[in-house]
Amino acid sequence: MNTVWIDMALAVVVILAIGLLGTSRLGSIVRLFALQSFILAFLPFLLEGGIGIHKVVIATGTLIVKVIAIPAILFWAVRHVSIRRDTPAIFGGSASLLVGGFLIGLSFFLSSRLVLSGKPFSDLLIPSAFSTLFIGFLVIISRVKAITQVVGYLIMENGIFLFALLLFETTPLLVELGIFLDIFVGVFVMGIIINHIQNEFDHMDISQLTSLKE
Amino acid sequence: MIFLILGLPFAGGGLDLILPTNRLRNWILFLIALAHLGCVVSFWLIPPPAVINGFLALDSFSIIILSVISILFFAVSLYAAGYVQNEKGRSNRIFTACLLFLLFSMTLVTMSQHLGLFWIAMEATTLMCAPLIYFHHRPQALEATWKYLVIGSVGIALALLGTFFLAISALEIKSLLLSDLISQAASLSVPWLKLAIVFLTVGYGTKMGLVPMHSWKPDAYGEAPGPVGALLAGAVTNCAFLAFLRMSQICHAADQAEFLKPILLAIGIASMALASFFMLGQIDFNRLLAYSSIEHMGILILGLGLGGLGIYGSLFHAVNNAFSKGLIFLVSGNLYQQYRTKRIGNIQGVLKSFPFTGGLLVVALLAVTGIPPFGTFFSEFMILNAALATAHYSLAFFYLLFLSIVFVAMSSVVLKMARGLPENREVELNPNQKESWITTVSPLFLAGIALLLGLCVPSFLNQALQKSSAFLGG
Repeated sequence: MNTVWIDMALAVVVILAIGLLGTSRLGSIVRLFALQSFILAFLPFLLEGGIGIHKVVIATGTLIVKVIAIPAILFWAVRHVSIRRDTPAIFGGSASLLVGGFLIGLSFFLSSRLVLSGKPFSDLLIPSAFSTLFIGFLVIISRVKAITQVVGYLIMENGIFLFALLLFETTPLLVELGIFLDIFVGVFVMGIIINHIQNEFDHMDISQLTSLKE
Repeated sequence: MIFLILGLPFAGGGLDLILPTNRLRNWILFLIALAHLGCVVSFWLIPPPAVINGFLALDSFSIIILSVISILFFAVSLYAAGYVQNEKGRSNRIFTACLLFLLFSMTLVTMSQHLGLFWIAMEATTLMCAPLIYFHHRPQALEATWKYLVIGSVGIALALLGTFFLAISALEIKSLLLSDLISQAASLSVPWLKLAIVFLTVGYGTKMGLVPMHSWKPDAYGEAPGPVGALLAGAVTNCAFLAFLRMSQICHAADQAEFLKPILLAIGIASMALASFFMLGQIDFNRLLAYSSIEHMGILILGLGLGGLGIYGSLFHAVNNAFSKGLIFLVSGNLYQQYRTKRIGNIQGVLKSFPFTGGLLVVALLAVTGIPPFGTFFSEFMILNAALATAHYSLAFFYLLFLSIVFVAMSSVVLKMARGLPENREVELNPNQKESWITTVSPLFLAGIALLLGLCVPSFLNQALQKSSAFLGG
């Protein structure tokens, strides 16, 4: 019974990532990321086993860091800068959706090649983790605004989080908390730098930062 | 003891955030660096016991890298005080605090025996470096910092993925402690282990600045102030190198060394090739040094990939490279403050105008390019020997070729800067830029160590190097 819900949640996570590829408004991009993290936060409870302290801490950690704190920083950054939109620079919106679809296919192919000792709780887990990861990567390389790049990095992190679900019993709580802390501080530092970029150049378009070149 | 050496820099960093004056903060920085060095010395005499279920412990790899970091940081802590003083009116609050937090995270990297904790500490070094690179607040520095943060974070995220793949491969062991992984390496799932190796190589390779993940390095090193460059090139890269050492340990135990070796050889020689060609005709001194750092990282990885004597050579080169890079970056800091430019063409006649800096510049050139009395020569020679001993003749040929290109590129530039007459008096616009003892003593100290390592390797270091290389089958 549970597997149906897990599969559904995973599908929604990937769909949200794709939706992000087709969105150009910065506010919506941040909202999509927050929604994706919100679903991820509840995923641990769908796994087998009772509600342990480990699951509760991870879920609360995800909620506080990825659903509340980081989107708050990003919204602050969006309000602070005068830009509202970011369209893909390398190729247009529809092309990047196509590439996204291709990446999902690639993820299924990759996961079919990797054999896991012991069956995972859902066949969709590894493909969707790879898909989310790849789409995050695509966002980083195809977008030019600093905030979108940060969101791309966070989407990647969400993909990695899905892999971490496979390892629920083996990763110590301390380590996972450390990872949350690092991601949070990372986004915080990036937020400060975005602010500096805005003050210094009056834009936060990374493609215009080109004075350092060979 | 382990808690002490971790707690001191952390507390010092916190203290520096609240202390009111530059002077007090400099003292804290210096005293913590001194205490850190003291702790490291005591570790050589009495190895500390492992703590927190073996999460933190000191093995022979850790102590080598930790000692290098500690000595280099000590020199930089002294130098940084003088450096910030010369930047009139600058507060060193963020600067010193970040330096100390960086020391904390680097110490944590060397001691982590759990690969998850190792990753956390490594990511923390990236974050702490970012404000340090932005110290001069120039627009270009902002661009460099952004590149460093984004590329570094993505790289390190891939390393996290690699770490998780390793954990999936070790599902039967149910642990990511290095000692467990090594003792039960036979039960690792091989396809996942290979995937983990690939991601870890890309991830930590980005941190180390290996080709093709090096693109942030010239920018970040080019914009970072001298003392920060010294730490980046000498200490942070060695932390990333430790990641490669850990990977080799696991591969060696799991009988997968043959999978890792060709990857290391290819990345190593590619790094040397690209670095040597970009060094020709480089017009910015700090960018030149950044490419030199890429080249030396290539040498380290190459030695590790060759195995046998190469592993000893590579470990020894990690030590030598840290001090020689530290030395030349501190000198570059002096040059920047004296000439207010990093363009090679605008710096001439250093020996005439600033005899100490000029002298140190020439010494640094010899140390970095590996000229005989310096340790770098011997470690580079060992790696060459290893290449010949394992019948990698064409590799040895290219190794020598790239080393000579680098030598020509660097010496022509540096000698032009050191000799000749100061071309115009504009340079002397800054009459207060005299050579202060504080910014001369620390590079001198590093030069002394670089020279000493070439003249004789202390027996305790030799033992640790041999013990470590034996772990990797060298």
